[in-house]
Amino acid sequence: MYAKRSRSQPQIILLKEGTDTSQGKPQLVSNINACMAVADVVRTTLGPRGMDKLIHDDKGNTTISNDGATIMKLLDIVHPASKILVDIAKSQDSEVGDGTTTVVLLAGEFLKEAKPFIEDGVHPQNIIRSYRTASYLAIEKIKELAVSIEGKSLEEKKSLLAKCAATTLSSKLIGGEKEFFATMVVDAVIAIGNDDRLNMIGIKKVPGGTMRDSFLVDGVAFKKTFSYAGFEQQPKKFVNPKILVLNIELELKSEKENAEIRLSDPLQYQSIVDAEWNIIYDKLDKCVKSGAKVVLSRLAIGDLATQYFADRDIFCAGRVTEEDLLRVAAATGGTVQTTVNNVIDERQVGNERFNIFSGCPSGRTATIVLRGGADQFIEEAERSLHDAIMIVRRALRSSTVVAGGGAIDMEISRYLRQHARTIAGKSQLFINSYAKALEVIPRQLCDNAGFDATDVLNKLRQKHALPSGEGAPYGVDINTGGIADSFANFVWEPAVVKINAINAATEAACLVLSVDETVKNPKSESAQGEAAASAMGGRGRGRGRGMRRR
Amino acid sequence: MALAFDEYGRPFIIIREQEQKTRLRGLDAQKANISAGKAVARILRTSLGPKGMDKMLQSPDGDVTITNDGATILEQMDVDNQIAKLMVELSRSQDYEIGDGTTGVVVMAGALLEQAEKLLERGIHPIRIAEGYEMASRIAFEHLEHIAHKFEFSETDVEPLIQTCMTTLSSKILPAFGSGNSVNRCKRSMAEIAVKAVLAVADLERKDVNLELIKVEGKVGGKLEDTELIYGIVVDKDMSHPQMPKQIEDAKIAILTCPFEPPKPKTKHKVDIDSVEKFQTLREQERKYFDDMVQKCKDVGATLVICQWGFDDEANHLLMHRNLPAVRWVGGVELELIAIATGGRIVPRFQELTPEKLGRAGLVREKAFGTTKDRMIYIEHCANSRAVTIFIRGGNKMMIEETKRSLHDALCVARNLIRNKSIVYGGGSAEISCSIAVEAAADKYPGVEQYAIRAFADALDAIPMALAENSGLQPIETLSAVKSQQIKDNNSCCGIDCNDVGTNDMREQNVFETLIGKQQQILLATQVVKMILKIDDVISPFDY
Repeated sequence: MYAKRSRSQPQIILLKEGTDTSQGKPQLVSNINACMAVADVVRTTLGPRGMDKLIHDDKGNTTISNDGATIMKLLDIVHPASKILVDIAKSQDSEVGDGTTTVVLLAGEFLKEAKPFIEDGVHPQNIIRSYRTASYLAIEKIKELAVSIEGKSLEEKKSLLAKCAATTLSSKLIGGEKEFFATMVVDAVIAIGNDDRLNMIGIKKVPGGTMRDSFLVDGVAFKKTFSYAGFEQQPKKFVNPKILVLNIELELKSEKENAEIRLSDPLQYQSIVDAEWNIIYDKLDKCVKSGAKVVLSRLAIGDLATQYFADRDIFCAGRVTEEDLLRVAAATGGTVQTTVNNVIDERQVGNERFNIFSGCPSGRTATIVLRGGADQFIEEAERSLHDAIMIVRRALRSSTVVAGGGAIDMEISRYLRQHARTIAGKSQLFINSYAKALEVIPRQLCDNAGFDATDVLNKLRQKHALPSGEGAPYGVDINTGGIADSFANFVWEPAVVKINAINAATEAACLVLSVDETVKNPKSESAQGEAAASAMGGRGRGRGRGMRRR
Repeated sequence: MALAFDEYGRPFIIIREQEQKTRLRGLDAQKANISAGKAVARILRTSLGPKGMDKMLQSPDGDVTITNDGATILEQMDVDNQIAKLMVELSRSQDYEIGDGTTGVVVMAGALLEQAEKLLERGIHPIRIAEGYEMASRIAFEHLEHIAHKFEFSETDVEPLIQTCMTTLSSKILPAFGSGNSVNRCKRSMAEIAVKAVLAVADLERKDVNLELIKVEGKVGGKLEDTELIYGIVVDKDMSHPQMPKQIEDAKIAILTCPFEPPKPKTKHKVDIDSVEKFQTLREQERKYFDDMVQKCKDVGATLVICQWGFDDEANHLLMHRNLPAVRWVGGVELELIAIATGGRIVPRFQELTPEKLGRAGLVREKAFGTTKDRMIYIEHCANSRAVTIFIRGGNKMMIEETKRSLHDALCVARNLIRNKSIVYGGGSAEISCSIAVEAAADKYPGVEQYAIRAFADALDAIPMALAENSGLQPIETLSAVKSQQIKDNNSCCGIDCNDVGTNDMREQNVFETLIGKQQQILLATQVVKMILKIDDVISPFDY
């Protein structure tokens, strides 16, 4: 970049050679274009008839996914403005878990609607202000329209939550079995209670079998760990055992790493050997004396210990992953050991044997064992279930739902259009375009299903415009290509998902609109290299300062 | 990838290394994926059925595998294409869950894809096709249950189990040997071995079979007919000293995981020897250790020592001297099996050795094979015969490997039958029957799915068609004849007469398959096809 001091003076170089800058209106428009290109990528994954993407990275990993956040993450986007979209997808994912495609699509659409105004020379700040107002109004409207499921009995609540989960799952690969999985997810979430401990729901993946073979364990299940000789002789089924959860190695080994023993008298040799044996035997003895019938450890349980336990009819498993161990501890209600009436069983699942802890009284954990034809399939099923679990949790907490299938979007859009008419000034236009942007959700639903979007949208607009307000819950009927009462068809979404999506999408759109200049360093690699080099140099100098210099 | 341009006409870089990535979208992506899937299915198609051909696969190291087991072929092929990999996993998961029918599932998926392609060309939305398939698979699933037969077997009457295992084995390498009678004899003996082995380890109450308790060992030499089932363990080891007795009756076995040598502390240690006396004591002590150890074993009444570790010549000599036969360097897994079979405990330390911890076996013998020096130790008539070994003999290594795989399939089938006693008839009869049922049900569905359901019925015909083709019959003629016969006689047992027996009633031919195996095939194939159909965008590194 050059700054001109005067005509005769040489140019002053402000920025490094090769730095790319662009600014002003063209820059804004090009940012919008970039964001729209990204939104286009995930566009087709929306809704129950959405398609999947196969993404294949240079390391040879393949992911087949329908989840917006996953796709965005894997696309490895470098364009600075588009990265904002990745971030909002991620934040939607971590905040509510579902609606990641929706949020990207909405943000893209908001920007698209803003583009003609920018080109016409409207100041971006005007648009931003109106968008913010519109989003505020929209959220208020959602809150107003949301139906609370609070105060219902547990059974009723369960079926309502299952409906929400089924709506999420219907767009996924496992959509065919959505009722089956929705019930499973609801049971799992209810099992862990209200605590904010998502990691208490474990998801285990076992290739083989069909989706229907997946099952929920009311407790903990983990794959049989590596075992030494003697393991097979241990009893495999316990009722009401005491469980000992350890974090130590039960193995015969040197106690201290660099210790060395010097013996001058060969007769002492045996005593050293005995001492070592005694250390491990002491540990084992204590385990046995505690009355535990099951010993689990995060670290290895050696062959000696395995055989020792086998000899005393104790079951042991070493190298259990920390997560599983935590879940066991939580399930059985103790950190060290516990007496509870749970049942432990070893069961064959596909090609693996699983240890299953079930019927734990303090409950609070659940494990879903997923089965499926291919690895990628199970991976995707896991992501889908994650979404469903998040949705159920959010719905359980916030307890309000809205009609899905584009119904709520249409209703807000109508409301905003109506509101816009009461505004004098430029803002009217912008809020109108915001309202139009919201229609992208039902439109895309139709497009993905191969319906005539214009036709369906017209019907929807007409229904929503009915003065009595009875048309509010009408959305796209994905089965027939017409419109239907989404609420009555149990296409439900938690209100918080929509609120968060609109909020995040508006914020992202405003952020992109407010940028009017980008300064890009020539190459990030070399910049990083230099940064590293200068950091090294800095350290070098820093160390050198104390020494004699100069 | 599609490039976006900014106001100055410069292209954007949105995705890292955008130029180096290829992207296929929409119908093109689906077509490419389908053709990849079909290609894999085409390879396996000729391996289906009793007259299916084998494939020879050479690994990068030059190892040669000859097999017609679908899962093995795909595993060894090392496919690169992503969609093809899905097919490999499909076959693998059939293998994990059921163990048999790995070829059929891939052929089925290939046929479904082929049908889907036609529908796509007619402009039907892929998701609608996938949904139609899903519905159809459910119809087929239920229909299978409808035509399935429960059959009874008990521990004494294992004939039905043997018949089913024979169906599985009939497509394998085994019948390739000899002709006429010997085919059946060999197949039959194999099936019997498999059934007996499974029954020996099965827990009929819990309906659980731990296949890990069945050890399959192979040794080159002899004939396939020499394959035997041993109610006990075979260890590929010999006695540690050539002069030790070769046969021990009523053996009491000490199973040790500690070596016959002076104990060593795990901590680093040093013994300072600075005088002759000290050296003498050390020497003396060492000898005492050996003496003690052997004595200890002798004291508890062991007549055979099986040790996980080795022992040096001094111990060996002492053992020999005290007339205590020993086996050394026995692997951990085998050790465990021996312990289970003999009811002994694995002892980690000599001090812990007690008479109760000894395992018992009726007969332990060392057997030499042919003219080679190879010897193996048989441990038979064990206290607890829950661990068994199938010992395969065969002309060459490839034969043995393939026999192992075939037996594995047979074992899995027997296990599945213990879990679920329902069977359907094989020879493509179940598929034809499902096809008729699905076809009939299709008309009841309004909407585009109807076409997909019909396509599913057509795809189901692919398996009997491939069977007929592989058997050298006229595929279309045979299939249509059988189909009309099924409808006319209302008999779901008519299949393809692959072996040219003269009847195509599979009940008479005794060709069975397990119900869960068939159901699994249909569900898994549908699942994977659905997944492939749902993909409309493939993004991959360009220079792949």
